[in-house]
Amino acid sequence: MGNDTKVYGIRCKACGHETYPAHACCPKCASEALEPLEIAGNGKVLTYTDLYALPLDYEQRYLRLAIVELDNGLRATGQLLDENPKIGKKIKTVIGIVRQSGDRKIHGLQFIPV
Amino acid sequence: MRPVSIIGAGMTKFGRSEWPLSKLMSVASLAALHHADLGDVKVDGVVVANMGAARLNRQTAIASALVDSLNIFPATAESVENGPASGASAFKVGYQAIASGMADVVLVTGVEMMRAVNNLEATDFVASLSHPEAEYIYGVTLPSLAGMFARLYMERYGVTREHLARVAIKNHDNAMKNPYAHIHQTVTMEGILTAPEAVVNNPPIAEPLHMFDCCPVSDGAASLVLASQEVAEKLGRPIVRIAGIGQATDTHAVQNRPDPTELTAVRLAAQKAFSMAGITPKDIDVAELHDAFTILEIAESEEAGFFKKGEGHKALEKGITSLGGKLPINPSGGLKAKGHPVGATGVAQLVELTWQLRGEAGERQVQKAKNAFACNFGGFGNNVVATVLTREV
Repeated sequence: MGNDTKVYGIRCKACGHETYPAHACCPKCASEALEPLEIAGNGKVLTYTDLYALPLDYEQRYLRLAIVELDNGLRATGQLLDENPKIGKKIKTVIGIVRQSGDRKIHGLQFIPV
Repeated sequence: MRPVSIIGAGMTKFGRSEWPLSKLMSVASLAALHHADLGDVKVDGVVVANMGAARLNRQTAIASALVDSLNIFPATAESVENGPASGASAFKVGYQAIASGMADVVLVTGVEMMRAVNNLEATDFVASLSHPEAEYIYGVTLPSLAGMFARLYMERYGVTREHLARVAIKNHDNAMKNPYAHIHQTVTMEGILTAPEAVVNNPPIAEPLHMFDCCPVSDGAASLVLASQEVAEKLGRPIVRIAGIGQATDTHAVQNRPDPTELTAVRLAAQKAFSMAGITPKDIDVAELHDAFTILEIAESEEAGFFKKGEGHKALEKGITSLGGKLPINPSGGLKAKGHPVGATGVAQLVELTWQLRGEAGERQVQKAKNAFACNFGGFGNNVVATVLTREV
């Protein structure tokens, strides 16, 4: 997996606050001095859904989407790859192909049980 | 600021339209203008609310097109795109034009023609308001955000699928009394939840939400004529005063809200609108809330201040929010059954409330309605406009 497929938020160089997705300035101290922060690690499921009304680009029975909270407090939305999902269940992030639009493969966050 | 009133309201039937976009706009506008019966008074400006004509109908600058079609030159013309809150945003722009003294009479028309494309395209069009990198690329759509919201909300507050079904049943019943509604079909608890065939009748869309928890994809237009108090009094029309408008934004990605079951922008927008109007939620006689999904009617009824957090579903159960109850919510049928042509919705909510306050709502009339409230919910709650209207005798 090349670096270009990773998902990044930002860390504020002034106050150390971390946020995802990236913003133009730090949501806490408004500093514009920011550095990339890789979004990865363990966490838990905050909520999830099985989406049967599939969006464009998907051919499957349903798409299982979740919002998770990582151990560092950051939240992320992504695809939940778990046969037995439950609110509060522990997960870890992986990078996978989350959408294929024509020939373009888009990488992003997927969540699997720990 | 000068006081501003609504002196005319009109709309097209919502549903699937055979008309081009321009005719939808002009039919609703003419209905509102006839209702206002302006005589020699000229329209100074037009504000059009629309979210997707550029993409769905390959037409831009549609406010200028409306002026041309109505032949009301040299009226000013602007279009407002603010996602599903475009309607109330355009209304706010019209209000500001008159309140500031820059105009005396403004026509506000909301329009959307979503069925020009297939359902997949229409869903993708609305999904394009989600965060492009943090949400959209994962297949996030509005129903999926509503599904995730509903699951957490239901777990936390003891709301069940039966409560959600009650919202649908109530709003479908109300729509039966609204000739402009998209869907004229009553639904029952058996049909959509408890009978064995409910699984077929009411398939899952974004669990725990099913088809009858979601609004339909609609075409339609709605229109209001706004005027300064001076013009309204000169014409001798019943005066529906715009008593308060509040607007608030929230994080683009839903994940970033400290508590993802809170709709902070609804709360703040409502507080501002009530504060400007100088009244409280207890004074409201009728409300139109943005029930694009059944769960949202319950959650918004709490955030707007009508019920305590976690108690909206209990009020629903007791019939408080039904026609004939203490606070009827969505007498028009709501987005759920009246339909949701996104750019038109915020205007259509205020059309319904204008009719209610003037005693012109026919079979669904709320008796002695004096104060009314509307919540137009953009994004998944990241841009909300709340309005308070008051009938002045």
